[in-house]
Amino acid sequence: MSDKQRNEKDSQWSCAECGVELTLGSVEVQYMGSRYPADLLRCEKCGQVYVPEELANTKMALIEKLLEDK
Amino acid sequence: MSKVRQNVIGTTQSVCPHCLNIISAEKIKDGQDIFLRKVCPDHGEFSLILWRGAPLMEDWVRPKIPYENPSPNSVSSKGCPFDCGLCPEHRQQTCTALLEITNRCNLGCPFCFADSGDQTEDPEVSVIRTWYETLRSSGYTCNVQISGGEPTIRDDLDEIISMGRSMGFRFIQLNTNGIRLASDVSYAKDLKESGLSSVFLQFDGLDDEIYLKLRGASLLETKIRAVRNCERCGLGVILVPTLVPGINTDDIGNIIRFALENLSVVRGVHFQPVSYFGRYPEKPADSSRLTLPELMRMIEAQTDGAIKTENFLPPGCENSLCSFHGNFVLMPSGQLIPLTRGGSCGSFREPEKAEVGACKAREFVAKNWGGVAPAYVCANDSQYDMGYWDTLLSRSRTHLLCVSAMAFQDAWSLDLERLRDCCIHVVAGAGKIIPFCAYNLTGSNGKALYRKKAI
Repeated sequence: MSDKQRNEKDSQWSCAECGVELTLGSVEVQYMGSRYPADLLRCEKCGQVYVPEELANTKMALIEKLLEDK
Repeated sequence: MSKVRQNVIGTTQSVCPHCLNIISAEKIKDGQDIFLRKVCPDHGEFSLILWRGAPLMEDWVRPKIPYENPSPNSVSSKGCPFDCGLCPEHRQQTCTALLEITNRCNLGCPFCFADSGDQTEDPEVSVIRTWYETLRSSGYTCNVQISGGEPTIRDDLDEIISMGRSMGFRFIQLNTNGIRLASDVSYAKDLKESGLSSVFLQFDGLDDEIYLKLRGASLLETKIRAVRNCERCGLGVILVPTLVPGINTDDIGNIIRFALENLSVVRGVHFQPVSYFGRYPEKPADSSRLTLPELMRMIEAQTDGAIKTENFLPPGCENSLCSFHGNFVLMPSGQLIPLTRGGSCGSFREPEKAEVGACKAREFVAKNWGGVAPAYVCANDSQYDMGYWDTLLSRSRTHLLCVSAMAFQDAWSLDLERLRDCCIHVVAGAGKIIPFCAYNLTGSNGKALYRKKAI
């Protein structure tokens, strides 16, 4: 996340490279062969996606475990 | 034969099916098939099919760093498989321990690995307590399966289950033909209240002709009633078909469809290709054997590709050649999403610690083979709509289907390398822990290596 600059709220993130405010939109999330859309903050100019720490530690961690649970 | 000799791809040890003496054995490749060939100086040559076709045996690998048991229950003297206890040569922990609480049965199946049905006296509850204590002394907590005979024959089954739970065993499963569960929902409720986690239900198909041939009785309605009663009590069910070529191998797809239609109670299907130990009608020919890759391909064909061979993985706990498994989520649209994939994501070339695999397998079974968990709810990140992933996560709690199979070894197919990696163990007698396939091993004359001697 070093290329991202945090404002007061997640919805006020902006892309450090492009200076464009991130907006919530549909992005393809791919993990271990599974690829489905999800709504995440992204830079409309360069396509970089921001995953909030809170989301990474909850839903995404559970999905990761689900797909690695073998 | 000279052509065949050129294709020896490995050597191991086995036993003579007649005298059960240890003899060396060769694995021989013929096209995509692998055969086990061995010669007993007294009883001649034996050859049988081990593996037919794709996925190829050489690709079906998941190497393990052997577990070194710090306190084995027996010493190595006569050599594997004669020193079970477990002995210092054994390379894996116990994932599931079977407690055979009776040899009596209310069926007389033509196929029965336990050769059940005699009137041997049941072990006392105090003896069963010592079995639990033996397992506790291993330093880790394994899963327990109450087995037999038919365990529901005993009226103190609830006491045996609650004793295990009070001694710290969090996952206790009942291996049953379902007859008593079907006849009495209050009995199923009592078992649930005593701490039973899951029912390992003998379930050979959706056609009574199958039950008549395999079990000697029309049992389909009984099986379905048993499933319904488990559902009413919140007991998870694993359907366990014994697969016999020519009898029920065309019903594999129907069994999986039944499971998918009943995910409110059915947590998985665990296929067991027939093995020839205990009681069986006649000496096995190669045509009487179903190998794991064939079964994977049959599942793919009979589910019209909803489940693919590539969705199955070799085990992280027992020897790679002993089983396969795959996990699937049924989505609201009816689509079946595989959580397991082979190929680059599912290759296991780097050795893993055997005990780590055993620990993961115990956790997985305890988590997923019991009753259905409530759907996933996470309040603090609800502003992020993960769309399909949210549904997948939620449905993985409520609509997960585990499909697996285990290839047991008999006196013809026994590979002692595989046996030393076994994680399914029977506790018997004065606290001996014996790998399942060693415990059930019988020679061609029906003489057992351990069973009925150890109790």
